[in-house]
Amino acid sequence: MRMIKQLRKYRAPYLFILPFFLLFFVFQLIPIIWTGYISFTNWKGLGDPQFCGIDNYKLLANDYMVTDALVNTTIYWVSSLVIILVVSIAIALCLQSPRLRFRHFFQTATFLPYVCASVAMGLIFGMLFDENAGLINEVLITFGMDRVPWLTSSKYARIPVIILFNWRIIPWFTVIIYSGLLNIPSDYYEAATVDGASEFQQFFRITLPLLKNILFFCMLTITVDVWKMFNESYTLSGPGSSNTSLFQLIYEYAFKIFRLGYASSLSMLLIVILLAISIVQFILKRREGEI
Amino acid sequence: MKRVLSILLISIMLVPLMASGGSEKATADGTYPAGDIVFWGTGQPGYRQSYYQNYVEEHRDVAPEVNVVADNMSSMADGQQKIAMYALAGDYESMPEFIMLDTVGIIDLASSGLLVDVTDYWNSISDEFIEGSASDAIIDGRVWGLPDAVRPQLLFYNAEIFEKYDIDPAMMSTFDGYLEAGRLLKERSNGTVYLSYVDPGSYTWRYWGRRGLMPQANARIWDEEGNVVIGSDPGTKLALEYFDKLYSEGLLYKTTMMSQPIYEATDDGIIATFYIGAFWDEFMRKNLTATAGDWRIMNAPVFEEVGVGGAPVSTFYCIVDKNPNIYTGLIQDIWYDFNTNTEDRNAWVMEMEEINGPYNNPVSIEMLKDPFWQEPSDFYGGQSFRKAESDGLANAAKNMMVTASDAEADTIISAELEKYIAGEQTIQQAIANMDKELKLRIGTAVLP
Amino acid sequence: MINRRQEITKSLIINFFMLLVVVVCLFPVLWMCAISVKTVGEKVSGFNALVINEPTLENFKHLFTLVPIWSNLYNSLFTTIIGTITTLFFCALAGFAFAKYRFPGRDVLFCFVVATMMISAEAGAIPLFVIMRKMGMINSLWSLIIPRIATAVGIFYLRQYMLDVPDELIDAAKIDGCRDFTIFYKVVCPIIAPALASWASITVIARWNDYFWPLLFLNKTDKYTLMVSVAMLPVSDGLATPWQTILAGTTIVILPSIVLYLIMQLFQKSGNFAGAVKG
Repeated sequence: MRMIKQLRKYRAPYLFILPFFLLFFVFQLIPIIWTGYISFTNWKGLGDPQFCGIDNYKLLANDYMVTDALVNTTIYWVSSLVIILVVSIAIALCLQSPRLRFRHFFQTATFLPYVCASVAMGLIFGMLFDENAGLINEVLITFGMDRVPWLTSSKYARIPVIILFNWRIIPWFTVIIYSGLLNIPSDYYEAATVDGASEFQQFFRITLPLLKNILFFCMLTITVDVWKMFNESYTLSGPGSSNTSLFQLIYEYAFKIFRLGYASSLSMLLIVILLAISIVQFILKRREGEI
Repeated sequence: MKRVLSILLISIMLVPLMASGGSEKATADGTYPAGDIVFWGTGQPGYRQSYYQNYVEEHRDVAPEVNVVADNMSSMADGQQKIAMYALAGDYESMPEFIMLDTVGIIDLASSGLLVDVTDYWNSISDEFIEGSASDAIIDGRVWGLPDAVRPQLLFYNAEIFEKYDIDPAMMSTFDGYLEAGRLLKERSNGTVYLSYVDPGSYTWRYWGRRGLMPQANARIWDEEGNVVIGSDPGTKLALEYFDKLYSEGLLYKTTMMSQPIYEATDDGIIATFYIGAFWDEFMRKNLTATAGDWRIMNAPVFEEVGVGGAPVSTFYCIVDKNPNIYTGLIQDIWYDFNTNTEDRNAWVMEMEEINGPYNNPVSIEMLKDPFWQEPSDFYGGQSFRKAESDGLANAAKNMMVTASDAEADTIISAELEKYIAGEQTIQQAIANMDKELKLRIGTAVLP
Repeated sequence: MINRRQEITKSLIINFFMLLVVVVCLFPVLWMCAISVKTVGEKVSGFNALVINEPTLENFKHLFTLVPIWSNLYNSLFTTIIGTITTLFFCALAGFAFAKYRFPGRDVLFCFVVATMMISAEAGAIPLFVIMRKMGMINSLWSLIIPRIATAVGIFYLRQYMLDVPDELIDAAKIDGCRDFTIFYKVVCPIIAPALASWASITVIARWNDYFWPLLFLNKTDKYTLMVSVAMLPVSDGLATPWQTILAGTTIVILPSIVLYLIMQLFQKSGNFAGAVKG
C-alpha cells in the first residue's frame, strides 16, 4: 500500500527513468542470463538446445583459439592503456600550451580520426599495411629496411590492429583530458612558477594528480572498449587466430559455424573478465581513499 | 505528459509490427502470383538475372507479374549461413527463392529441411544432362539441387613467361614437372618470377587444399564412419607435403587472393601460373590488361602415384523451402531453359564475353555438342577456353567426402594451414594439429 | 638570451610535434580520397598510390552498380537521425529525473545505471538475436534504434549537466503551474542545449559508424546500412573489387561525417567536443 502511494507521489521521476530500466532488462539483462543458460547446452541454432553439462567450459579450457584470443585482447588492452594515455596527454598538453599557433586548426584536425568509421578505416589500413602493395612497406624499403609481413605473419599481425584502434580512439581521450586540463585553475601553475618549479615538476606535481579522476574514468572506458573490440581485428584479420579479439571469436563461433552453445560460454567468460577488471579497479581506487 | 510518453513508446513498438507484410497466395487461374523471385549467387549474379528476367518476360502468360531479382552473396558459405540465420530468426519471408550452392551448403541446408526436394523433377529429365552432374547434390537417394555448372580444376599459365625463360609448359602435366618448372622459373629469372600464389588467409585451404591438391592426392579428412583420419592419411601427407615443397622453396608469391595486389603482380609478370578452378577465368578477364592474350590453359597436373586429374567443382541451383515455395515450378522451368535453349544461351554468352562477364560451360549434352563451345578466345591467344573447360573434366578426381561437419572442419583446418603459411609451424605439425583439433572440437563427423 | 632561445626551441618542438600528429591523423583519409579518384587499371601499390594522372568519378559510378547506395544511405540516415533524437530525449529525461528529483531509491538506482556501463550488451548478442526475432525486428531498422534509446553513458553524462541547472528556476516554473514534463522541455532542455548538442554529435558518430549490430540484425542487401555494404565490398568472392572502388565506398561513408563535423566546428567555434566532457 505504501509502495503504491510512493509510486503515485513520485510517478514523474519513475516514469522518466523507466525506459532505461525497461530496455536494460529486455535487451541486456535477460540476454545475459539467457546466455548463461545456453552456455550449458550444445545449441546449434535449429531445434531445441540440449543440455550438455560443462562440456563447453571443458572445451574452452583446451581451445588454443580461446587462449590466443585472450592473449591478444590482453595485449590490446595493456598496450592501448599505455599508448592512449601517454599520447593523449601529450597532445592535450600541446593543445593547451600557449606556445601553440593555430590552436583551433589543430583542435579540429586532431579530432578528425574519431569521426571516421573504424570499419572503413580498417579496409584502408589493410591496404596500407599490405605486405607487397602497401605504402608502409614501400616507405620502409626506401629507408633501407626489409618488407614486414604485417598482416601475413602471426608475429606482427597485432600491430596494425593496435595502430588502427589507437589512431581512431586517441582523439576522443585527448578531448576528455584536454577539458580536464582546462579545469585546472591557472593560479596553481602561477604559484608553482613563482616557487621556481620547472615545467616537468609542475606536470608531475600538479597536472597529473589533478587529472587522476579523469584518467581513472579514461582507463575504465578504454578497458570496456578494448574488451569488446570487434571492427578493428575483424577487418584486419591475420593468419588463423593470430590477432583475433575475444569478442570477434565469439561472433565467429556463434554466427559463422553456429556453435551457439559454445560461443555463449565464451560470452560468459567475457562478462566475468569485465566484471573482474572493474571490481579490481574500484578496489584499488577505494584503497587510495578516492571514493 | 504521460500521454505524450505512452504514445511515443507505443508507436515505437508498433512500427516494426506493421512493417512486416502478409504473404501472397497462389492465384486461382493457374498463373503464378505476382512477386519477386529472389536468387542469391556469388560473383556477379546480376548477369544471370538478365537472362532469367528475360525468360519471365517472355512467359507473361504463366507469370504475368513475376520478376527475377538477383542478390550478391560474398561466398556460398555466407549465403548458407544467412539462410541458417533466417531460419534461426524464423524469417522465411527474407529467404531467397533459390540459391547457388556447393555440396557443403547443400548438406547443411538440406539436413535442416530448408531445401526443396527435386528428386522427381530431376529423374524426369536427367538423361538430357552429363552423367553424374547431379551426383554431388544427392543425399540418401534424394536430389536437392539442379546442376548449374561442373567446372574442372585447370592450370592457367602465362605463355610469354614460359617462352622468355625457355621452359616447355608441357612438363607441367605432372606435379613433379610443375615443381620443376617452378624451380626453373625461379633460377632463370633470378627469383623475380614465381610459379604461383599463396594466400595468407582461408583461400589457400579452399583452392590449393579442398578443391585442388587434396582430392587429386585422394586425401581424406574422415573415414566412412566419420572418424577423423587426416593425421594418418597418406593422401593428405602427399598433398600437403607437396604444397610444402612449393612454398618452402619460395616458389609461391604471398598475396591476398581476389584483391588488387594479386592482379598487379600478375600483370607485372611476377606470377606465372594458377592452379585453380575454371572460375578463375572470369577474374583474369576482368582484372588483367597487360597480360591479356598471353594466357593459356591446360589440364591440371597429376600426381603420378595417383594418376587422376583435377576434381570438378559442382555448383547447384537449389530451391529454398520457404514453407512453401510457390514458385518451385517456375524456377525449374527457368533453370531448364537456361540449360537447354541453345540459341538464347549462346547469345547470352556472347554478350558476357563482350563485357568480360562471367559464364561457364553448360551441363546439358545437347548444348555441349554445339560448335559454339569450341570457339577460340582472344584472352587465351586463340586457344578455346570453352573447349579447355570441357577437356579439363577428363579423368576427374573424385571430390572429398563432405559431411555436415565440414563447414566447421574447414575453419579448423584452414587455421592450421594459415599458421603454417605464417611460418609458425611445419607442415607435419600442421597436419598433426589438424588431426588433434578436429578430434577435440568435432570428434566424429555428422554423416549426411 | 638563453631563455629566449629555449623558449623558441620549445615552441618549435610543440608546433612541429602537433604538425606531425596532424599528418598522421589526416594521411590515411587523404590517401583514401586520392585513390578513390584514380582510374581502375592505374597502379595503386606502394608510392603509385600518390600519383593521380587523370582523376575520375568512374569508381563512384561503379559503386552505384554494385551496391544499392540510395536505399543503404536512407537506412543509415534513418537509424542515425531517429536513433539520435530518441536517445537524446530518453537520456535527457532520465538524467533530469536523477538530477532534479528526490525520490526513494534514487541513489541506488543511479549507482545501478553507472554499474551497467561495465556490462556490454554485445556479450548477450546471441539471445538478443532470438529476442529480436520474437519481436519481429530482424531486418528492421528499429532493431538498431530501440535497444539503445536509453543508454547508461548518456544518462550519466546529461545528468552531470542537469545538476548545474539552478533549482530556483525549476521551483519558479512549478509555482507557475508547469507540470513535470513541461518543466523538462520548456525550462531544462534550453539551458542544457550545448550539452545536448555535443551528446547528439557523439551519438551521431556512433550510430553512423555502427557496424556490429547492423551486421547481426540486418540480412538483406537493401536493408543494410551503408557501413555494412561498404565493409562487404572486398570480401565478395566473385567481385574482385578493385581498391579504387572499395575506397570510393569508404569515401562515401567517411566524408559525410567529416563534413558534418567541420560544419559543426564552424557553428560552435568555442564549444566543440571539449565542452562535451565534464571533469
